[in-house]
Amino acid sequence: MKLNTASAVISFAKELEEDSTKYYENLIQKYTQDKEIFLAFIKENKKNIVSVQRVYQEGITDAIEGCFSFEGLDTDNYIFNQKLSADASYSNVLENAIKMEEKIQKFYLDSAEVSKSLMADIPRLFERIAKKRGKRKIEIKSFK
Amino acid sequence: MAILEEPIKEVKVVKNYIDGEWIESKGELKEVVNPATGKTIAKVPISTKDELDKAIEAAKEAYLYWRRTPPLARVRCLFRLKELMEENFEELSRIQTMEHGKTIDESRGETRRGIENVEVATGIPSLMMGYNLEDIASGVDEYLIRQPLGVFGAILPFNFPFMVPLWFAPYAIATGNCIVMKPSSEVPLTQLRVAELVEEAGIPPGVWNVVNGGRTVVSGLLDHLDIKGICFVGSTPTGKNVVYKKCGETGKRVIAGCGAKNCLVIMPDAVLDPTVAALMTSIYGNTGQRCLAGTNVIIVGEDESFYQRFRDAFIEKASKITVGYGLDESVQMGPVRDKEKKERIVNYIEKGITQGAKLTLDGRKVSIVGDYPDTCFLRPTLFEEVNPDMTIAREEIFGPVATFMKAKTLGKAIDIIHNIPFGNSAGIFTQSGKLAREFQYNTECGNIGINVGIAAPMAFFPFSGMKDSFFGDLHPQGQEVIRFFTESKVVIQRWL
Repeated sequence: MKLNTASAVISFAKELEEDSTKYYENLIQKYTQDKEIFLAFIKENKKNIVSVQRVYQEGITDAIEGCFSFEGLDTDNYIFNQKLSADASYSNVLENAIKMEEKIQKFYLDSAEVSKSLMADIPRLFERIAKKRGKRKIEIKSFK
Repeated sequence: MAILEEPIKEVKVVKNYIDGEWIESKGELKEVVNPATGKTIAKVPISTKDELDKAIEAAKEAYLYWRRTPPLARVRCLFRLKELMEENFEELSRIQTMEHGKTIDESRGETRRGIENVEVATGIPSLMMGYNLEDIASGVDEYLIRQPLGVFGAILPFNFPFMVPLWFAPYAIATGNCIVMKPSSEVPLTQLRVAELVEEAGIPPGVWNVVNGGRTVVSGLLDHLDIKGICFVGSTPTGKNVVYKKCGETGKRVIAGCGAKNCLVIMPDAVLDPTVAALMTSIYGNTGQRCLAGTNVIIVGEDESFYQRFRDAFIEKASKITVGYGLDESVQMGPVRDKEKKERIVNYIEKGITQGAKLTLDGRKVSIVGDYPDTCFLRPTLFEEVNPDMTIAREEIFGPVATFMKAKTLGKAIDIIHNIPFGNSAGIFTQSGKLAREFQYNTECGNIGINVGIAAPMAFFPFSGMKDSFFGDLHPQGQEVIRFFTESKVVIQRWL
């Protein structure tokens, strides 16, 4: 599905963060060894939702191109498998988490790129979140 | 993409807010229809003169103690109001979409702009200060104080149901005045919700009143001798021939923001993609129902290849715009406010064809996202080969219609702008600072955009306007509106 308005992009960002949260919540129910790290990710996801919402609501005005700035974003490029199969090993679960973080990182980077004509705060925040997502990938890889 | 939940679930009967009470009007009720769905969402009263007089009387009484309330205490009410508006940001935005038709992004943008005015008005303890000078003569000091005047009236438009009322009301009350607001009867629900928040914020009874209605309320405000000034935003014929004239006769202060026909000048060195994106918002944003909307696009120079590249990019983007219900997040352009407004726009399109302009994109051929009646919908429209003397190039259409014209030089483009009776806004798209300065210096318009499609001044700047776009002296917002709501009193003192 195409994302062509600021509102759609912000809603989709929230959806990704929530799905990622659910994934980690399920993960720590099954595997507890790195629980503290994943709890920190969950906390950060919630913070991201608030930050994205805030920067959008505080930055959007009727003068910026909110309805016309987003082109070429498609949800199909960012959707990930959030289900944990019953027989998945810890290694598989981590592998899937890395893929998930890659997708989310790509979403934020692509959104940052197309929203550069909006107020600077919006692409800047997207880039910051993408950077954190990159760090997460490295962190998860270290558990394997 | 999801359709956001509607905050209005049943047909509301709108009440007036007078002296801190919710009062049912005795006037007849008029239906408020969601322009996208065609469903009735409210009934608004056409209030009587008696009801208006009661509101003015209440405001007059409240003024006696409100002006004595310290400015810091007055702005504490506004701080609370601002917080309540933030808490209800989403609901306020969705109500605007439901009653006006604009997209949710546009409504949220409007909500933000409105709140910014409340924020600026909270600076009144500093902004309202006067000044002084010791020893203007030996042992004689002189100082200036700014005092409120009394009760003001606000006659408000349909196109920005949240933001435009807040160009005035927060400043009026922060400076110690009281106000009687008359929202547009086409979009009363946003101001109804705002008045509920006003009550919750603890703004004292009588300070902020809302009387819904039509001509009776407008005439009543204009005629009433206890109304010290009028804030009006609407059409030029009403602003110029009724409001401005009547305020002159009755000795009232007046701010009358009126119609527009805004030109956007495209120089051959303009950066194509961001220019076209800015034009989409300027021309088709708010479905063209905006007094800062660009409509006449003047392409400068004789480089035919630039014109072709520009028009191709414009057409590609405009023809892809998704039209539908503004609560659908995939929608980029909503309906116009009502059937009559659509008919008016269609008449202009027909006039453009008759007068010989080339209709490149025909907005009358409607395709909508979702299953909605097409009663109020249009698609982006574009005319090429437009002559500056044509009706579509001179009159305010107030709809999603762009007209392309050519001018050999920037000077000729400015001549086209000056031949239009309006002077609200104009924009230039160029990489040349020299040309931009020439444009800014010479163009007789109140709000100038340089590589900006909508030159909408922030709350701390005045929303300017010239020629037939503005009548009055001081403009809405910022320092100018504070001057509007206060009288300068000069004191010269000597102690013997």
